[in-house]
Amino acid sequence: MSRIIKMGVAAAMEALKDAELPMPDAIVTGTAYGCLADTDAFLTRMVEFNEELLSPTSFIQSTHNTVGAQIALMLHCHHYNNTYVHRGSSFEAAVLDAQSLIEEGEAENILVGSVDEIIENSHTIISRFGIYKESESNKLLNSGTNGTMAGEGATFFVFSKNKETGSIAKLEDIKTYYKTNRKAENIIHNFLMENNVRVDNIDLIILGNNGDAKTDEHYNTVAQHLFGGKRLVGYKNYCGEYPTSSAFALWMAARMIEHGKKINDETSPKKILIYNNYKLKYPSLYLLSAC
Amino acid sequence: MDKQELMQRLKDEIIKQLKLEGTKPESIGDHDPLFVEGLGLDSIDALELIVLLQQEYKIKLNNAEQGQEVFRSVSTMADFILEHQAKQV
Repeated sequence: MSRIIKMGVAAAMEALKDAELPMPDAIVTGTAYGCLADTDAFLTRMVEFNEELLSPTSFIQSTHNTVGAQIALMLHCHHYNNTYVHRGSSFEAAVLDAQSLIEEGEAENILVGSVDEIIENSHTIISRFGIYKESESNKLLNSGTNGTMAGEGATFFVFSKNKETGSIAKLEDIKTYYKTNRKAENIIHNFLMENNVRVDNIDLIILGNNGDAKTDEHYNTVAQHLFGGKRLVGYKNYCGEYPTSSAFALWMAARMIEHGKKINDETSPKKILIYNNYKLKYPSLYLLSAC
Repeated sequence: MDKQELMQRLKDEIIKQLKLEGTKPESIGDHDPLFVEGLGLDSIDALELIVLLQQEYKIKLNNAEQGQEVFRSVSTMADFILEHQAKQV
């Protein structure tokens, strides 16, 4: 079992344990890169052995749906199982699918999550594009320099139709776009309008700025124009930048609501908005509230 | 290489090839069944063992039925390899 599979399985088992759910009605996963280590092993072998003597295990485990499949195997779960691979909106696609399944009455309790890993080769290749900072910084979000920090993570949730004893937050809405020409301020404003929420009603805004001076300007504009620079926190200083990092933001928001975490001595957040825009191509919004 | 050394090497290679984390070579008996009981290997692992034989010992299995006999235990695998090597000399 490669590292990413262990990460995914461990996160999924934690989520199921916390929700006291032995068997989900569906498993929906999002990943941009899939199981990179096994893909790397399979492709390297393919080159080294001239396309002969290929290891079947590396091939099987290199597929993007391996984590969702492994969780199902361990649970003996034969229910709906799907994996979405849509680059920077992979996790959003998984969440939307889970939301549809619940709304259409196909499932009541769904295991939803995302996985993405860094491996040596992927880090080397992505570094060539100048995406990562060349020097270490312990103040990632205020570095003022180009580049960000490489990230990875496995995050799983149990989405339920009804409020359960262990429910920690309510996902009011989610919205995702791809390469839209619309201004971020308009997208966020419309999202809030659709949910009958005013900016003043939001206790905390979690933004996806990643410390890269080239893209942080976008978030700074949103922060100043829409929220007046108040009640804002970042999250990529904890998990780094990766295509499915919004799942980490959602986890962080849910935990803040659950534990009543106070920000800057203000009241505990009851309503949290998440805005992430991976590579400024995949804007996504989540609205979470206490339940 | 005598049979004892070969079996030791095979155990190391099986653990590495099949990524049997947590399994130590000394916990695999020479005559323990590799499939179902014993190590509890499955059909995908059988393919991995075929790749192992071909890659490390340049031995190609001619038919699937031969595999059942060869992969019964580490001992039968060692016998098969030694027999093949003797024919090559």
